[in-house]
Amino acid sequence: MKYFDFVGKRRIFISISVVLVAISLIFIFTRGFNFGVEFLGGSELILRVESSNFTEADVRKVLGEISSDFASARVTRVRSIGDPENILKFSLTLTKTFMAEEKADLQAQIESKISEKNIKGQVISFNETGGSAAEEIRRLTWRAVIITLVAILVYITLRFNFVFGVGATLALVHDVVVTMGFFSFFNYELNVPAVAAFLTLIGYSLNNTIIVYDRVRENMKKFKGKQIASIVNDSINQVFRRTVNTSLTTFFVVFVLLLFAGNAIKPFAFGMTVGTVVGTYSSIYIASPMVIRWVKNR
Amino acid sequence: MRANRVRLIVVIAVIFAAFLALLWPSKGQSYKGLAMIFQRIPLGLDIKGGARLEYRVDVEQGVENPSEVVDNVWTVLRNRLDAAGYTEATVRKTFRENNSFIVIEIPAATDTTRAEKLLGSTGVMYFGQVLEESQIDPQTDPRLKDLARIKKAEWLPTRDGKIWYLVREEIMLIKDMKLVSPQIVSASPVPETRAGRFGYKVTFELASKDAELFKKITQQLVVPESSVGSAAAKEKRLAIVLDNVVQFAGYVVSVIPDGKAEITGNFSIEEAKQLAAILRSGALPARLEKVSAGWVAPLLGSDIVRTSLWAGIVGLIIVFIYMVIVYGIQGVIADIALIYNTILLLGVLAATGSILTLLGIAGIIFTIGTTVDGNIIIAERIKEELRAGKSIKAAISSGFGRCFITLFDANLTTIIAGLVLYYFGTGTVKGFAITLIIGVLGSFFVNIVLSRLLTEAFSSLIRKPTVTEEGGAQS
Repeated sequence: MKYFDFVGKRRIFISISVVLVAISLIFIFTRGFNFGVEFLGGSELILRVESSNFTEADVRKVLGEISSDFASARVTRVRSIGDPENILKFSLTLTKTFMAEEKADLQAQIESKISEKNIKGQVISFNETGGSAAEEIRRLTWRAVIITLVAILVYITLRFNFVFGVGATLALVHDVVVTMGFFSFFNYELNVPAVAAFLTLIGYSLNNTIIVYDRVRENMKKFKGKQIASIVNDSINQVFRRTVNTSLTTFFVVFVLLLFAGNAIKPFAFGMTVGTVVGTYSSIYIASPMVIRWVKNR
Repeated sequence: MRANRVRLIVVIAVIFAAFLALLWPSKGQSYKGLAMIFQRIPLGLDIKGGARLEYRVDVEQGVENPSEVVDNVWTVLRNRLDAAGYTEATVRKTFRENNSFIVIEIPAATDTTRAEKLLGSTGVMYFGQVLEESQIDPQTDPRLKDLARIKKAEWLPTRDGKIWYLVREEIMLIKDMKLVSPQIVSASPVPETRAGRFGYKVTFELASKDAELFKKITQQLVVPESSVGSAAAKEKRLAIVLDNVVQFAGYVVSVIPDGKAEITGNFSIEEAKQLAAILRSGALPARLEKVSAGWVAPLLGSDIVRTSLWAGIVGLIIVFIYMVIVYGIQGVIADIALIYNTILLLGVLAATGSILTLLGIAGIIFTIGTTVDGNIIIAERIKEELRAGKSIKAAISSGFGRCFITLFDANLTTIIAGLVLYYFGTGTVKGFAITLIIGVLGSFFVNIVLSRLLTEAFSSLIRKPTVTEEGGAQS
C-alpha cells in the first residue's frame, strides 16, 4: 500500500481551512441564506383547476415560465370535503410577499398561462402566510449548539484526552461552517431538508474523526516514545482505505440524490454531498494534524 | 461454537420481533408487495400529506392588539396538538384582506372529523355567574326565555343536556368583571382527603395575569359553607363555560387570593380527569370559524417524493455492488447487515408509532452509512491482522475484539449528539434524533453480533492477502 505524508504539510492545510472558514463566515454574515418558506413565510395561493389530469409538475412549469424565482415554489395538491372529482386544487407557496397590484398581476398571469392549455384555472385565494417550521429550530439555539459541543468534548476527554476533544469539536465546527458557507455561496435554499443535512453532518463528521483518533490512541500505546507526528501519520495511513471506502459509499447515495432528486430535496442532497467531502477532508487533514502540535507542546 | 449459537438465536429473535412489529395487521394504510413493510409506519406530512383544516380567527371588534390574539390562538392550538402527541403537525398563520386564518395540517390522519376532535374545542371559555337553573328545556318555555332577556343572561345546557343554567358573563353585573379565556397554567385530578368526602377533586392554577381578577370574582361570589344550597347561595354559583356548554357549576366557599383553586364535587376519577383536561387544554382567546376541512397531498410534492425515492434506491444499489467488488464475501456480509439493520430500525419505528418524515429518512441514510462503515472498519482490520501473519480464525477474533472499542467510541459520540438534539429539538428534529439514536444502536448490534456470526460462518471464503508483498492490498 502506498504511504502518504498527510501531516507533513499540515500548516498549509490548516491555513487553507482557516481561510475557508473565514470566507464561509463572511458569506454567511454578509450574503446570508436563501431561507425556505417554512422559516420565513411568504405567500400562499390556492389554485383551482377544472381538469382531472393536471399535475403538480404542470403547475410548477407554469410558475417557472412566469419567473425563474418561482421555480423552487412548493406546490401541493389539496382537497376539501365535497370537492368534485373533476376539479383539482393546488396550494402554491412562494417565498415572496406581494403588493396588491402585484397580486392581481401574478394572478392574471397564472390564469392566462393555464388557459393557453385550454384548461380553466382560477386563483381562488391569495394569502400571506407565516412559516410553519420556524418553531422547529427556534429551540435549537446557540445554547443547544454549545451544550452539544461541550458534551462531546467531555466524552472525548474521558475516553481519549482533552486535546483530542478540542480537535474533534473544532473539526465539527469547521465542517458545519464550511458547508453553511457553500449554501450561502451557491444560494441554495436553506429549508427543513437542508437542516436535516446539517444534523446528519454532525454525526458523520464526529464518526470520521473518532475513527482516526481511535487508531492514534492505539498506536500511542503501542509505540511509546515514537514521535507523535509520525504516529499520527501512520494512523491516518492505516485507516485511509476505510476512510476512502466509507466516504465513497456515502457519496454514491447522496450524489445520485443530488443529480436526480426533485427540487425540495436538492438542498438536502447538496448539504450531504458537500458535507461528505468536507468531513472526509477534515478528518484526514485537520482533526488529527491539529492535535500534533498540542500534544508536542505539552 | 457456543458463542455463535447464542448470536444466531439473538439475531433471529430480534429480526422476528422487527417483522412482527412491521407486519402486524393494521386497519390504517394498506400496501401490497414490498411496500407492506411500511404499512404500520405513519408517514409525515412532507412525504404522505394528511388532513388539512382552515379556520378564520374571529377577533372581536375593538381589540387593542389583534395580532397578539392570533398569536395566542396559535400557541394554544400548538400546545393541544403537542399534548396529543402530534408534534409533527404544522400550525400556520395566514392573512388575507384583514382577516387572520389558521391552517392546521395533521400527518397520518385521513379522517378530518377525527382531526377536528383532536384539535379540541374551537370555542371560547369563560367563568360566569349562575342565576337560575331549570330541569326543562328553556326554549320550550316562554317564561324562562323572558327571564333570560330580563337578566341579560343566557340559558346553557350541561354536558349531559339534562339541566340548563342561566349564566351571565358579568359577575354581579359589575362592569368589566368578567373572566373570558382565562389562562390556566395547570389542572389535575387529586384524590379527596377531607373527611366526609370521597372520590376525586380537581385543582387548577390560573396564570398570574388572571389571578387578581379571579380573586375579585371570588370575593363577590363567596358564600359561607353553611348556607350552601339556600336560595340566596344558588344565585351566586360560579359556572365554567366552554363552547356554550356548562362544564361545571358550583359554589365558591372561600376567596381565592392567588389563582390556586380547587373544585370539589366527589368526582369519579374519569370525571375529574375530564374536567382537568377541559381546563388544561387552554381556552382560545378568540372563536374559530371553520373555513374548510380536507386533505393535503405530500408537501414536498408527490412527484418529487417519487423521484427522490428512486434516486435513493439507485444510490443504494451502487453501494451494494461496490461493497461486493471491493470486499468480496465481507461485502456481501455488509450488505446483509445493512438490510438487517434497516428492517430493525423500521420495526422499532412501527412499534413506537413514530411518524417518519424526511428528517427521519435522513436519519435512516445516516444509519446506512454507519452500518456500512462498521463493516468496512471490521473488514479492513481483519485484513491488517492477516497481513501481520495471523491465521484467519485469530484475525477474525482479534479484529472484532479491537473494533469493538473503535465502534463503541464512534457510535457513543454520535448518540451523545443525538440525545442533545432530542432534548432541544421539537417536532421533526426530535424525530430525526430518534431515528439517529435507534439506528446507531442498531448498527452497533449488527456489526458486533450479526457481522461476526456471518464472518465466522463464511471465514473459509475470506481471501488471505499475501504477506510477502509490502501491504499487498491490491485486491
